[in-house]
Amino acid sequence: MLAGQIAFYVLAAAAVGSAIGVITFRNAVYSALSLIVNLFCLALFFLMLNAIFIATVQVLVYAGAIMVLFLFVVTMLAPENDDSLPATRDRLGVWQQTAAIGLGIILAGAIGYLVLAQASISPAAVATGSQDLAQQISQLGNTEAFGQALFHGFLFPFEVTSVILIAAIVGSVVLGRRTSSREGE
Amino acid sequence: MPMPMPPNAFLFVGALLFTLGVVGVLTRRNPLVVFMSIELMLNAVNLTFMTFASALHSVDGWIFVFLVLTVAAAEVVIGLAIIVSIFRSRQDIDVDDLNTLKG
Repeated sequence: MLAGQIAFYVLAAAAVGSAIGVITFRNAVYSALSLIVNLFCLALFFLMLNAIFIATVQVLVYAGAIMVLFLFVVTMLAPENDDSLPATRDRLGVWQQTAAIGLGIILAGAIGYLVLAQASISPAAVATGSQDLAQQISQLGNTEAFGQALFHGFLFPFEVTSVILIAAIVGSVVLGRRTSSREGE
Repeated sequence: MPMPMPPNAFLFVGALLFTLGVVGVLTRRNPLVVFMSIELMLNAVNLTFMTFASALHSVDGWIFVFLVLTVAAAEVVIGLAIIVSIFRSRQDIDVDDLNTLKG
């Protein structure tokens, strides 16, 4: 139990630190690399919550696919443009940033207060879950429990997901065509 | 294997990550970093979903996380394509300069 707690604190520190890195690095490539660390920490959190399949999918989809896309676009667009804040835009930047950080602190404080001080999961809600997951996992295994839920209870949302993916593919092809607008004009 | 920490600790980390994402969206000007901050927020919500799934012994949170992952992938593909096409036409990407749709 103690090892689990230590792992939690280390992971939490790494996740929060890399998230701060994402929003503070001037160079977008460093932000992307920091985001990869953050996503990996979240995958380890999922592992800590007994969701092996989701942790694997997190690493595969996010670190494997989405972040490769991000890094590709970041390095393709503007590798030397490192978002220099003070030089060009100090007219709006200062008060916007102060306001954003102040609002962020208020938001974090409010959510943190709710989470840590007051809110607790009611036993009635746990009872409706009825230990179903633990039972299924012990009987079927992690991935199979997920697959049962996905293809029996949530089949329609799963199919709608495929429509979304088709739309994304078609949309990216249309947006990526270089000559389409010139031919149209 | 039981959860090593109470659910509130996981929820607090999720809230912190979400707030950092909000601050990133509000402060940064590079649309790519704004996109990364949105990913940060989506992941914070995913962590919250997983925590509640584990605390309530229900598999529904996993399904939500799976769907959020798919939607995030689609959103990133479309968003990056839009950013690339904006960069092609303007040679400059700054969120504050993109106000041509303003009425």
